[in-house]
Amino acid sequence: MPVPSRFYRWPWKVRVEDEVDEELAFHIEMRTRELCDRGVPEADARREAHRRIGDLDRMRASLRDMGARRDEHIMRAQYLGELGQDVTFALRQLLKTPMFTAITVLTLALGIGGTTAIFSAVYAVVLRPLPIERPDRLYVVGEMFQGGTSNMSVGNFTDAVEGTTAFEGLAAQQFFSFNLSEGGTAERVVGARVTANFFDVIGSRPLTGRTFTADEDTPGGARVVVLSHRLWRQRFGGGSVVGRDIRLNGEIHRVIGIMPQSFDLRSNSEDLWTPIAFTPKQKVWHDDHYLDVYGRLKPGVTIERATEELEAVATRLRRDFPKDCGNLRYATQPFAEQFVGDYKTRLLVLLAAVTIVLLIACSNVANLLLARGAARAREVAIRTAIGAGRWRIVRQLLTESVVLGLLAGTAGVAIAYWTVRAVLAWSPAGVPRLEQTRVDPVTLAFAAALAIGSSILCGLAPALRLSRDEPQRGLHEGRRGATSGGVRDRLRAGLIVAEVALSLTLLVGAGLLIRTGIALQAVNPGFDPAGVLSARVALPESAYPEPERIMETFRRLTEDTQHLPGVTHAAVSSYAALGPGIGSNGLLPEGQPFDLNNLINSQLRMISPDFFQTMRIPIVKGRAFDENDRTGGQKVMIVSEALAARAFPGQDPIGKRISCCERGPNDGPVLKLIVGVAGDVHSRDLARAPAPEFYLPIPQVPREAWTWIQRTMYVVVRTDGDPAALVQPLKAVVGRIDPDVPLFDVRLMDQRVQLSLATSRFNTFLLTLLGVVGLLLAASGIYGIVAYLVSQRTQEIGVRMALGATPSQVVRMVLKQAMKPVAVGALLGIAAALLASRVLAAQLFAVKPTDPLTISVVAATLIVVAFVASVVPARRAAAVDPTRALSAD
Amino acid sequence: MADTPSELLHGTLETLILKTLTGGRRHGYGIARAIEDATDGVVDVEEGSLYPALYRMERRELVEAEWGTSELGRRAKFYRITPRGRRQLAAQTAEWTRFSGAISKVLLASS
Repeated sequence: MPVPSRFYRWPWKVRVEDEVDEELAFHIEMRTRELCDRGVPEADARREAHRRIGDLDRMRASLRDMGARRDEHIMRAQYLGELGQDVTFALRQLLKTPMFTAITVLTLALGIGGTTAIFSAVYAVVLRPLPIERPDRLYVVGEMFQGGTSNMSVGNFTDAVEGTTAFEGLAAQQFFSFNLSEGGTAERVVGARVTANFFDVIGSRPLTGRTFTADEDTPGGARVVVLSHRLWRQRFGGGSVVGRDIRLNGEIHRVIGIMPQSFDLRSNSEDLWTPIAFTPKQKVWHDDHYLDVYGRLKPGVTIERATEELEAVATRLRRDFPKDCGNLRYATQPFAEQFVGDYKTRLLVLLAAVTIVLLIACSNVANLLLARGAARAREVAIRTAIGAGRWRIVRQLLTESVVLGLLAGTAGVAIAYWTVRAVLAWSPAGVPRLEQTRVDPVTLAFAAALAIGSSILCGLAPALRLSRDEPQRGLHEGRRGATSGGVRDRLRAGLIVAEVALSLTLLVGAGLLIRTGIALQAVNPGFDPAGVLSARVALPESAYPEPERIMETFRRLTEDTQHLPGVTHAAVSSYAALGPGIGSNGLLPEGQPFDLNNLINSQLRMISPDFFQTMRIPIVKGRAFDENDRTGGQKVMIVSEALAARAFPGQDPIGKRISCCERGPNDGPVLKLIVGVAGDVHSRDLARAPAPEFYLPIPQVPREAWTWIQRTMYVVVRTDGDPAALVQPLKAVVGRIDPDVPLFDVRLMDQRVQLSLATSRFNTFLLTLLGVVGLLLAASGIYGIVAYLVSQRTQEIGVRMALGATPSQVVRMVLKQAMKPVAVGALLGIAAALLASRVLAAQLFAVKPTDPLTISVVAATLIVVAFVASVVPARRAAAVDPTRALSAD
Repeated sequence: MADTPSELLHGTLETLILKTLTGGRRHGYGIARAIEDATDGVVDVEEGSLYPALYRMERRELVEAEWGTSELGRRAKFYRITPRGRRQLAAQTAEWTRFSGAISKVLLASS
């Protein structure tokens, strides 16, 4: 705190207490004297003087109080006055050098804007509290399964509900697709069937109407539905709809409530809910794992206690149902953690990357400020000479950088605004709440903090350096004086080291992702997506209760599609690839004892015979299905190479048998004969190794299988022509079979492949962009520093050349000075990259985080760029005319 | 108006203090005496009002204080009018003149 100027005028500094005491004592003394002079005896005079004051202690206290407040007020006023002066002065200084100001502000604005934009995404997705009650108490409960977690079976759910007291409630949800036919058009809507307490457990209340009663959540209960805010707005125009009847899967449902907008937790979350109404038979069925279960802890109850209770339930179930629950363990995970998923890491990596860009920008600005400081050494020297303290000078210089920072912050917010819009327009689907990213008060506060923080960061060192100069030296040596000397060069060399190290770290990250992208592009998906159109068809249970009817409908659909002009092959399958709707079963090769650990979890496709030809999945051994694989005949299956290798390592799988998918008499196994081996398919993700898979002919699937897949099949169609031209004919085929059944999720297989890469591509694109920006900033920074160092050595270079040094010797000398910190920075950067790239591990494919090729290519690139950035000023130095150089300033 | 003429309106005391300081710096007692003398004792400046007023005026930068030596050789705190104080005094004086003139017109009017 500066001392108020008023206090300078006092010969010595007086505390407020003493000031008051002394002033009052003086007053009493003078009054007494006055009365004495008028002839009053001294004792009476003194008493009268005191009486006039009244309660002396109170008076003192109140004056001290007023005095303290007065001093505070004056100090603040003075401080603000000085700050105002500093800001005005800073603005005037900055306006004097518009080029410097523009470059500095733009450089910083780029860093601040980018960082703010990514931060706003991190805030929207990760940091912002979920719009539900006490999200910290909400957990996702699942079952541990082969090293991961899986959904829960109804039996395991029911027993968990009955056997625990730690939860306020456990709610189950089954994602479910509905055909919503309203106003003449059928539409596919993703919804869920939920237990009655679902909304209470998640912690949200309906906007209007109500949610389900326990009665409605029982078999035969009233058909009721709760709508999402989004569906209500889009499909019903936000009008009055509660109490109305709508057709879902061909059945009339009454709308009883609408959830608030905040319950649309993500852009692709479910759009309606109906009661799940478990039957008594379902409640004791411990197989078939398809429930998402949520649990809300009671206040004051720990998750550890809940886990213990669940383990007690699991122990009992393992004993009572060894076949279904032999290895049952419940698993819990905080809801928020599951909700954000691995996007948290991806976003934080981006935030780290953009922060590195900001730091590089800061180094550039620090260098610009250093150079500017050097040019102003004389001004500072004069101010010091006329009595400004060091702190005063530092404050003035820092005010200048903070003013710069705030200007940059303002520009940065504009950059952030446009960046956010661009990111939203280009970002892949499915990132929860990303669409809610915006420049809001929190983001603005962040930008302001960044602006002030970064400007102090890059302004502090130059300000301290400049203010430390002795005034005589600055005055005496003029322009050059205050800038030569090893210390300052070390500071600049440090900036080069930092810029190289930071941009190398960044570029290694980008390089690893680029290599991942190239590797993913080269992955053979196991099928040929070109020329294939895919779409899904779902048959409602009410109109298609019997498997015979379902199979007949899909058979007709396949046949009609095959006859469309231009179609070479067409098939239906419960799953195509790289889309939603995959399911899996536990398979037991014949001869192995029943043990849940021996089950091979394999992905199932229920297919019509032409599926392999349509998708061009090779049959590597044996045969494909044909018309003879019919209901009641020999039960057959085709296995993928991965499954064959797991089930029968080193043996010919053809002719072997595997039990799966259904139970025979007395709960015995039902064996299926392997008639063929198909090539592996990357069904879920190109980046993951193909999982074991098996195929069943549609006529031989168990009756329950139609419930597993919710009577939903993919139609895949191959053509030699344009597959997109088949969309309308295919829709027409489905419409002719049943006008109430929509064709949905219509996509070219090529599109599915691209979509599965979208998130990784987007991340790669952003990180590469940041890497390039960082590299350009670093290059311009190194150029600036070297150019400055050269300009400082002009005279010395002149002397050397006058003494016979050749231009190439001069170039080499300058390069040596510049490249030493570059080399140090590169080494530091490699070390940093080796440490930092580990966070990328989960996003990499076919390349290790420590990939030597990537690291050496990046390091070489950086060194070349730094070299070029240094050669330009070095050659300029060598071109100097010795006589001119010697006579300069 | 109050029973005793010595009771002053809040703003009036400040104006009187500023007026006494136009002749040069004074300590608190000096200010009180100057007012009492100038009004022939009609106005009695109470200490309980004087010092709070002075501290308040310091804060508002109407006066500023400094330590000096009194006429009797003792160290004392002296007050000095600031430019802002002078402006305030001028404004208050004009206002007072206008106001008292108006009151006089009413009271002295021949009915």
